[in-house]
Amino acid sequence: MDNFFQMFPTVPFDPTVTGQGLWMIIAYPLAGALLCGLLGKTLGRANTHLIALGSVGTSFVLSVLAYWATCDRRAVVATPIGLVPWSVHGDFGTWFAAGSFKVNFGLSVDHLSGIMLLVITGVGFLIHMYSTEYMSDDKGYWRFFSYLNLFVAAMLTLVLADSLPLLFVGWEGVGLCSYLLIGFWYEDKEKAYAGRKAFITNRIGDFGFVVAAILMVLLTDAITQSPVQSFGREPSSAVFASRYQAGIDALGALSFPVIAETARTVATLEEQTIASGPLSGHSFQGVVTVTLLLFMLGAAGKSAQIPLYVWLPDAMAGPTPVSALIHAATMVTSGVYLFCRISALLVLSPTAMATIALIGAVTALWAALIAFSQVGIKKILAYSTVSQLGFMFLGIGTGAFWAAFLHLVTHAFFKACLFLGAGSVMHGNAGEEDITKLGAVRKEMPLTWATFLVATFAITGIVPLSGFFSKDAILHAAHSNVLTGYPMVLSLAWVIGTVAAFGTAFYMMRLYFLTFEGKRSPAAKVAHAHESGPAITVPLVILAALAVLAVVQGIPFLHTPEGLQTVFQAFLRPVFSDAAAISDHVRSVHWGEENGVPWGTYLFAWCIALAGGAFAFIMYKRNRRLPRALEPFRRASFAKFYIDEGVDILILRPLRGLSMALYRVVDAVLIDGFAVRGTAWVTARAGAALRYFQTGDAQTYAAVMVLALVAGILWALMKVAS
Amino acid sequence: MGHVPTSWYLILAAALFCIGVVGVLLRRNALVAFMGIELMLNAANLTFVAFARARGDLAGHVSAFFVIAVAAAEASVGLAIVIALYRARGTVNIDEIKTMRH
Repeated sequence: MDNFFQMFPTVPFDPTVTGQGLWMIIAYPLAGALLCGLLGKTLGRANTHLIALGSVGTSFVLSVLAYWATCDRRAVVATPIGLVPWSVHGDFGTWFAAGSFKVNFGLSVDHLSGIMLLVITGVGFLIHMYSTEYMSDDKGYWRFFSYLNLFVAAMLTLVLADSLPLLFVGWEGVGLCSYLLIGFWYEDKEKAYAGRKAFITNRIGDFGFVVAAILMVLLTDAITQSPVQSFGREPSSAVFASRYQAGIDALGALSFPVIAETARTVATLEEQTIASGPLSGHSFQGVVTVTLLLFMLGAAGKSAQIPLYVWLPDAMAGPTPVSALIHAATMVTSGVYLFCRISALLVLSPTAMATIALIGAVTALWAALIAFSQVGIKKILAYSTVSQLGFMFLGIGTGAFWAAFLHLVTHAFFKACLFLGAGSVMHGNAGEEDITKLGAVRKEMPLTWATFLVATFAITGIVPLSGFFSKDAILHAAHSNVLTGYPMVLSLAWVIGTVAAFGTAFYMMRLYFLTFEGKRSPAAKVAHAHESGPAITVPLVILAALAVLAVVQGIPFLHTPEGLQTVFQAFLRPVFSDAAAISDHVRSVHWGEENGVPWGTYLFAWCIALAGGAFAFIMYKRNRRLPRALEPFRRASFAKFYIDEGVDILILRPLRGLSMALYRVVDAVLIDGFAVRGTAWVTARAGAALRYFQTGDAQTYAAVMVLALVAGILWALMKVAS
Repeated sequence: MGHVPTSWYLILAAALFCIGVVGVLLRRNALVAFMGIELMLNAANLTFVAFARARGDLAGHVSAFFVIAVAAAEASVGLAIVIALYRARGTVNIDEIKTMRH
């Protein structure tokens, strides 16, 4: 391992100083968002572009520096719990504290978040550049760039955060920006509705996230209050307990180093139950499983997994660069990032892993089936994104974190390229989105065609491209790993995933053939498409090149003590070493053959991809009719299996009915009728009655006083008498 | 000199007080109502002095002097209000001066 890291250049400065400047990576896009948002209209178009691109570009340069620093062997962060190698950390004081619970404003970069930083700022920069032309004649361009910059700042916060609460700030921030950008053309009611749908669906997931974070705090409390003897740990229980407490005091219970330590502790506790506190009576393992499932609910909302995937296809109402940046490359992958972050916790629970793997696999297949028959070019890509995210979650569930993360990175490249290519096609065809009304775009838009083809091959899994290796690494892990207690789950997930991979090849090639090949559709809006300008084509070319070059990360050619590994796997090893050690300790995952070159599965996966592509070729290039028997399936797929209608009938309508009833009964009758108007009515009546006593005649008042006096005297006399 | 029982004084004071109250409540003329108030105050004074005599100390006398002082002040202020009212409205009839209604 160490030999490998000596390959990396040593930075010419002390890498630990980078930590002090990490806040600037967030601050630049944030300042850009403020400037563009407040002054954009007066500054003019070119200045807005300059600010937006400049801030993200600066962030990119700083990210490269931070990333480079984490590749230096001197980059070690000392925490009370222990040393964290290959990372830099900046602590900017206590953010908030309540009793013994505190949260630091701490940012840190390690290999995992370093790669994310590069993807966010790098792809983000390209998409900003693309937007300068794509949004050139939009009257809200300054608002657009302000939101886009704000999104980058929030996403960077999510990735840089070294604790769950700070991560949650970024998590909510990207959700907000997503909502703002989906409903960017808010004058269109449908698009504003799509924004709301995304926001509300995400709230459901965020609820799970918050409850899970609270459970984590309770779990940490339960551990610190357990008898010290129960920790059978080296060097000794007392040393461990004081170290753990020191870590909580210094970093806060929800910081990632403490969470990793919590996971290590729970791994040693076996089947013990919690003795005191709000969780008493439950086992540590059980609490961890529930926590993880709630985190999965949060991740399902953000990363569009079953059951909360419905918002993502509708999110295509936003401008295309937004779809590329937020709803394909970065934001929707934050659920995957979250699980990579807490991978040490995840491997404690085979139940949670099995659930995640199945959700991922089923989502991958489900979305691919819907993508079969859609006609909107962005709709297909949206369902494809849902499907690919399903693959990533499948990877998470199998314990192949590096493979899931590699797929995240390669997917960011090729899916951003696909979306931007789709945007370019729409840009050159008067905004036409329906692929049945396009066709023969190839000759008119050569650069868009070439890059789109490369990205299509990458997502399909054609051999020399990156998508093949990342997707296959996931499927290989699903094929060879076995979860303790759930022997069949991963095999089942592998079958579903393989079918989904076949589906991917089919719908992507269908999209390609209908859009770029064949004859120009007579229903096309314009007779001839025109190629887009350099601001659009340059990002396309760069992303396509990255989609090809990322393959270096995915080929297992690196000789390590563990055998042949991919660069990516070796590079992320420090991040996932806790997870590996813990899963070995609790034996939650039976690792199959992870190293070496799995020629058999490679060949199989390739055949699957080719078969899917060939099927699409026969049907759409050769214009074969669909067999009549499959027609009902096609119709159901086109209608997205009536999920939206089902949700409407089962959830929305009852909810709307209940709201209507509450409005009519509670609001209109009880609150308005009794509480509001009732108070006024009583006051008015009482006043009307009392005004007869207000004669203004001093003698009447005096008479009343005398009567009262007499009554008082009589009462006193009776008291005395009795 | 025959000994007059305290209760006689008190009955006289009560009678005076009731005459005062009736005067205040029933007479329309502000000045006469005013005289009723003076009558009530003096009834109170008489009570004080009667008890002081019965107890044989000076506390009641002191209170009576205070009441006389307050009554003097009250009379001057009250008469001033009556004069001001007369100047403003040309009448001292209470029925016609219902300013406390608003």
